Amino acid sequence: MTRVAAALLLFLAGAAGAFGAPALIETPSLASAVANGTLPPIAARVPAEPLIVDSAPGTPGGDLHMLMAGSKDTRMMVVYGYARLVGYTPALTLAPDLVKSYEDEDGDRVFTFHLRPGHKWSDGAPFTAEDFRFWFEDVAQNKMISPSGLPPELLVEGEKPRVEFPDPLTVRYSWSRPNPMFLPALAGPDPLFIYVPAHYLKQFHERYAEKDKLKALVKAAKQRNWAALFNKLSNGYRNDNPDLPTLEPWMLRTRPPADRFIFERNPYFHRIDAAGRQLPYIDRVLMVIADSKIIPAKTGAGESDLQARYLRFDNYTFLKEAEERNDFTVRLWRTAPGSQLALYPNLCYNDPVWRKLLRDVRFRRALSLAIDRHEINQAIYYGLAKEGQNTVLPQSPLYKPEFREAWAKFDLPEANRLLDALGLDKRDSEGIRLLPDGQPLQIIVESAGQSTEEADVLELIRDTWREAGIKLFSKPSQLTVFRNRVFSGEAMMAIANGIDNGLVTADMPPVEFAPVSQQQLQWPKWGQYYEDKGHAGEPPDTPMGRELMRLFNAWFDAGTKDQRRAIWENILTIYAEDVPTIGIAAGVPQPVVVNNHLRNVPEEGIWNWDPGAHFGIYHPDHFWFAKDERVALPAAPAAPR
Amino acid sequence: MSVETASPPAAAAAERLPHYVSPQPFDPYSAEEMTPQQERYYMASQWRMMWWKLKRHRIAVASGVILLAMYLSITVSEFLAPYDYQSRHSDFIYAPPQGIHLFHDGRLIGPYVAGFDYHLDMRDLRRVYTPNLRKIEKLRFLCHGDHYSFWGLVPGDLHLVCPAEGGTLFLLGTDRLGRDLLSRILYGARISLTIGLVGVAVSFTLGIVIGGIAGYYGGWVDILIQRLIEIIQSFPHLPLWMALSAILPVTWSPLLVYFGITIILGLIEWTHLGRAVRSKLLALREEDFCTAALLMGAKPARIIGRHLLPSFMSHLIATATLTIPSMILGETALSFLGLGLRPPITSWGVLLNEAQNINVVALYPWLMLPVVPVIVMVLAFNFLGDGLRDAADPYR
Amino acid sequence: MLGYIVQRLLIMVPTLIVISIVVFTIIKLPPGDYFSTYVAELQSEGEAVDLQKIEFLKKEYGFDKPVWEQYLYWAGGLLRGDLGYSFEYNLPVRDIVGDKLFLTFIVSFATVLFTYVVAFPIGIYSATHQYSWSDHALTLLGFIGLATPNFLLALVLLYLANIYLGVSIGGLMDPRYLDAPWSLAKAQSVFAHLWIPVIVIGLSGTAGMIRRLRANLLDELQKQYVTTARAKGLPPFRALVKYPLRMALNPFISDIGSLLPHIISGAAVVSVVMNLPTTGPMLLEALRSQDMYLAGSFLMFLAFLTVIGMLISDLALAALDPRIRLSGGVSR
Repeated sequence: MTRVAAALLLFLAGAAGAFGAPALIETPSLASAVANGTLPPIAARVPAEPLIVDSAPGTPGGDLHMLMAGSKDTRMMVVYGYARLVGYTPALTLAPDLVKSYEDEDGDRVFTFHLRPGHKWSDGAPFTAEDFRFWFEDVAQNKMISPSGLPPELLVEGEKPRVEFPDPLTVRYSWSRPNPMFLPALAGPDPLFIYVPAHYLKQFHERYAEKDKLKALVKAAKQRNWAALFNKLSNGYRNDNPDLPTLEPWMLRTRPPADRFIFERNPYFHRIDAAGRQLPYIDRVLMVIADSKIIPAKTGAGESDLQARYLRFDNYTFLKEAEERNDFTVRLWRTAPGSQLALYPNLCYNDPVWRKLLRDVRFRRALSLAIDRHEINQAIYYGLAKEGQNTVLPQSPLYKPEFREAWAKFDLPEANRLLDALGLDKRDSEGIRLLPDGQPLQIIVESAGQSTEEADVLELIRDTWREAGIKLFSKPSQLTVFRNRVFSGEAMMAIANGIDNGLVTADMPPVEFAPVSQQQLQWPKWGQYYEDKGHAGEPPDTPMGRELMRLFNAWFDAGTKDQRRAIWENILTIYAEDVPTIGIAAGVPQPVVVNNHLRNVPEEGIWNWDPGAHFGIYHPDHFWFAKDERVALPAAPAAPR
Repeated sequence: MSVETASPPAAAAAERLPHYVSPQPFDPYSAEEMTPQQERYYMASQWRMMWWKLKRHRIAVASGVILLAMYLSITVSEFLAPYDYQSRHSDFIYAPPQGIHLFHDGRLIGPYVAGFDYHLDMRDLRRVYTPNLRKIEKLRFLCHGDHYSFWGLVPGDLHLVCPAEGGTLFLLGTDRLGRDLLSRILYGARISLTIGLVGVAVSFTLGIVIGGIAGYYGGWVDILIQRLIEIIQSFPHLPLWMALSAILPVTWSPLLVYFGITIILGLIEWTHLGRAVRSKLLALREEDFCTAALLMGAKPARIIGRHLLPSFMSHLIATATLTIPSMILGETALSFLGLGLRPPITSWGVLLNEAQNINVVALYPWLMLPVVPVIVMVLAFNFLGDGLRDAADPYR
Repeated sequence: MLGYIVQRLLIMVPTLIVISIVVFTIIKLPPGDYFSTYVAELQSEGEAVDLQKIEFLKKEYGFDKPVWEQYLYWAGGLLRGDLGYSFEYNLPVRDIVGDKLFLTFIVSFATVLFTYVVAFPIGIYSATHQYSWSDHALTLLGFIGLATPNFLLALVLLYLANIYLGVSIGGLMDPRYLDAPWSLAKAQSVFAHLWIPVIVIGLSGTAGMIRRLRANLLDELQKQYVTTARAKGLPPFRALVKYPLRMALNPFISDIGSLLPHIISGAAVVSVVMNLPTTGPMLLEALRSQDMYLAGSFLMFLAFLTVIGMLISDLALAALDPRIRLSGGVSR
């Protein structure tokens, strides 16, 4: 398309846009397929009411090269593609995406979704309410395919939703009690799939397929039974079946196993830009598989056009230096964890003497005061991180400065005073405090041993704790062993990532601040108790634990936003005062490598898993290359150093 | 005939030569007497001859000297290292190596280093250190520096060389926490060098015992053990290492983990020794001295230990010396796989593992310097072992 | 001769059985299993895992049965030619290994070739000019490969090759040829990438070979017949090559059997660093994630190859060296 023609069309489209949907422009790379009849023209491929993305329009074409670490990472295209029924916007609010519109009535009890007329799967078959019905009745409730029943996000205290299909384009889910987790689950990076391509999967389902045909298919695939075959082929998230129709902007074309996966544009994708071009702009995504340790080196050699996964902050200097040799720039995006690393005193530790000590809030406060966060920030994060506790970030609407600053100053005299007040005032010849029974105050901090960052931070903490009379031993081990030790109460203290999402709003459930999951390393047994509904673990037996649980349950019963906000504030205040985890620094920037020709990638964004889906909320489908084509990697470097 | 005619024989007898017996003392071996040099040579013990042959191999001797120096240095690492191995300097993270200068403005003012001017480049997030030749930091010798605990027992703070007061002495640069690399290498030598020895001790014992049994008894015992050796040798080492390291309990202290790893390495490497022992024994057990001992009622263990082994101990030592390098390299490989020693223990393998990433290769290449002592050590052991083996059969 | 072969074949069977038990033990030894590692990884990255589905999968694949039963199941599958199912890739093992074998053979073959080509001249020179300075220098060169930790060397070479030669980092070819059919350009790309792994892996093997060749050749050169030949005026080169060298070649043949596992397992570490699409990284990852069937079946395959390789090299040696044939056994 010449520039003049494009400009003219844009002008016309802009004018037309004022009166409704713009006139559609055929995608250049699909033009030949349309011409010889293999694909219908664009008007028949795009839904009658497509989602119009109103950012600056771009030029279609080009291949996007990415590096990933294993064939399981094909699921990243589902994460980055981010085609969801309801998705998050960059402002972290929910907006309809695949659905034309939705209604959330009766205080999160009734959800009605309106599908887009003419919306089709990637193989041309219509996307209708039948796909939802098939999933709900024949997949999710089929004992062989889903032995564990409906996913937990669909159950409100065990109650199944009432699912209605008033017409082929409307679906309604209702519960008798509020289900505030439903929409966030649909908008997640690994979303709750409540629909599947029924027209494709029915041939693998015993209720719809011919018995002999199905048997032959099962045998050919060497699966145990039809349900195993069904599960293997139907996992939309794992994204390893090129034949499975999808609604994402790019569809997998390479059958695993492979060292390079090719994803081609979905000709039936439901989003268009303001000029009438169907998204995505980029024709193909080429995902090269490499060992994760070598990905920073390969990125520095210019082998990736858009890369953030497997890049760490300490690769920044190297990548910045490699900028001169290659055609990319390195941007720094913000991250959302409440603290990059945090210490987790195990409140369910087995040894009674230590458990009593760890449960004493003054001890935890002293430990927190004896950490020089400023030095850690300077030494490891170049001063770019924000020191503070492991709690919400300033960008969250729930933030209050006192939450992050509580007990986070470096105050050795106060720490010493608190420890003395606990009765630990006797010291041995090295200056280490002694427990009442004469044992030295030695804390063993265990880690999964996967990053040098943890070891470095512990080195720095070791020195300041020593001045408070505490001896720190670091014990790196292995991921499964480490987790098992923490879960069973054999590990005294752990170091791991802080709170995953420090950008919470009042409408998000306080799952990370209350003991509801065994993964929370500070109270694994209380979390297990909640997860297993009382069959294992221990119930919270301190006032703080019980209060947090009470507030957690209250949040689900809260009807209005103000009520929820009040509950959150309560929770965060308790968290700040009682220091169940000791945060260090948050906001460590994430390097994002972007090819210089790639447009519409934000200069500054948030790199977060949930909410955020990494690149998802920024919609990679409307990234575009400013040159016409970029298919070949540079054959020779620009100039030797 | 008269009696007087019998006198000519008597007269002839009276003219025969007298029977001469020398009064000098007689040495029956005088014909075989040797010159002092010859005596030294022929009377020399096996070990002495080995030494002479070894001396001819100049590289082996040089290697031996280097090894001796390195092992001696372990005993006084605290004294030799300018800093303690854990002491860190937050202001000098990733500092490049400092060179030692002697002259300043044409005058000899003694060894000194140029102090650093530090500047943080916020665009690249790069720490830039420029040596400033005006900042003269003279080295001090036999001075008081970082406190240490000599061998974990005796506190002290005497160092061979220290930086100037308030100055720095990073001869090989610093790492990401500002720890001096030279000091860490010196301390790391303790672990890396001794792992080899302990591991070799384990292989030695295993090799001699198992190889000895195989060689001495022969028959189906021999076949069985040969198959065992075959299995262990043909098995890829990687899974064995991984599996064995996974058994080491996490609760063990670093020292116990260290011993566990040496034993693991030893368990896998004994096969070479075992094979050598077995083949030599197979040859030697037919010798007469062995039969004699057997007839005199010696038990097999005594025959193997007292008679057979000493005859090829030299070969064994040579083979053992050649196994040590693979232990040292095995330790570095284990660290790379994340199975061996972990920080905060310092060994060359740990240091190399920390250097194993693109940041170091591209930006901070001095952190790869621990590879030099590894190479030197491995080469030295190899050459020494070669020399020992050549010398082990001095009659050639 | 035939009896010898039959005897060796018969002994192979219990050897392989023992190896299979060892392999199975090794895989089962680390605590946990594939699913617990998988769950742990996902959860530590913040992704949600359906624990009940995992339990279900565990039962499906027989993880709740006793260990010996799992072993018999796997061993029985091996005998039938069924290598099992890989959980990591979600595919039968055979499909995964098949691709990588070809490239592994290319790399291994090139490495062995390189090793022999380098070790041979150095070994011969070293034996004939014993204790000279050039002898020391050359042996030093040959030994440096042994002494350098090859994972570090690999990374450095990769980086330098990229900066100065424009070779893409890691892998056996430029990524755009990854699924393209074989062509001259693809072959050229493979060669451009091949030399780094071949050098790194091959160098560590040269030292051993040099040493053995040197020792054996020295042994031979001391013998009477060599002195006689020289005294009778045979040119020195012929006196070296025609007789002593042939005798000294024995270990080269017998080493083929043990060279293979060394290359494959030594190559695993380097292949991981250099991201080669060979079987080494696949094995390492399978062991780490305890992907039982993939790791176990592949190890058995390797062991099988090695045992056969040893048999072949023993036979080759017997064919080559009449002394062994006539004395009825290999004496080492």
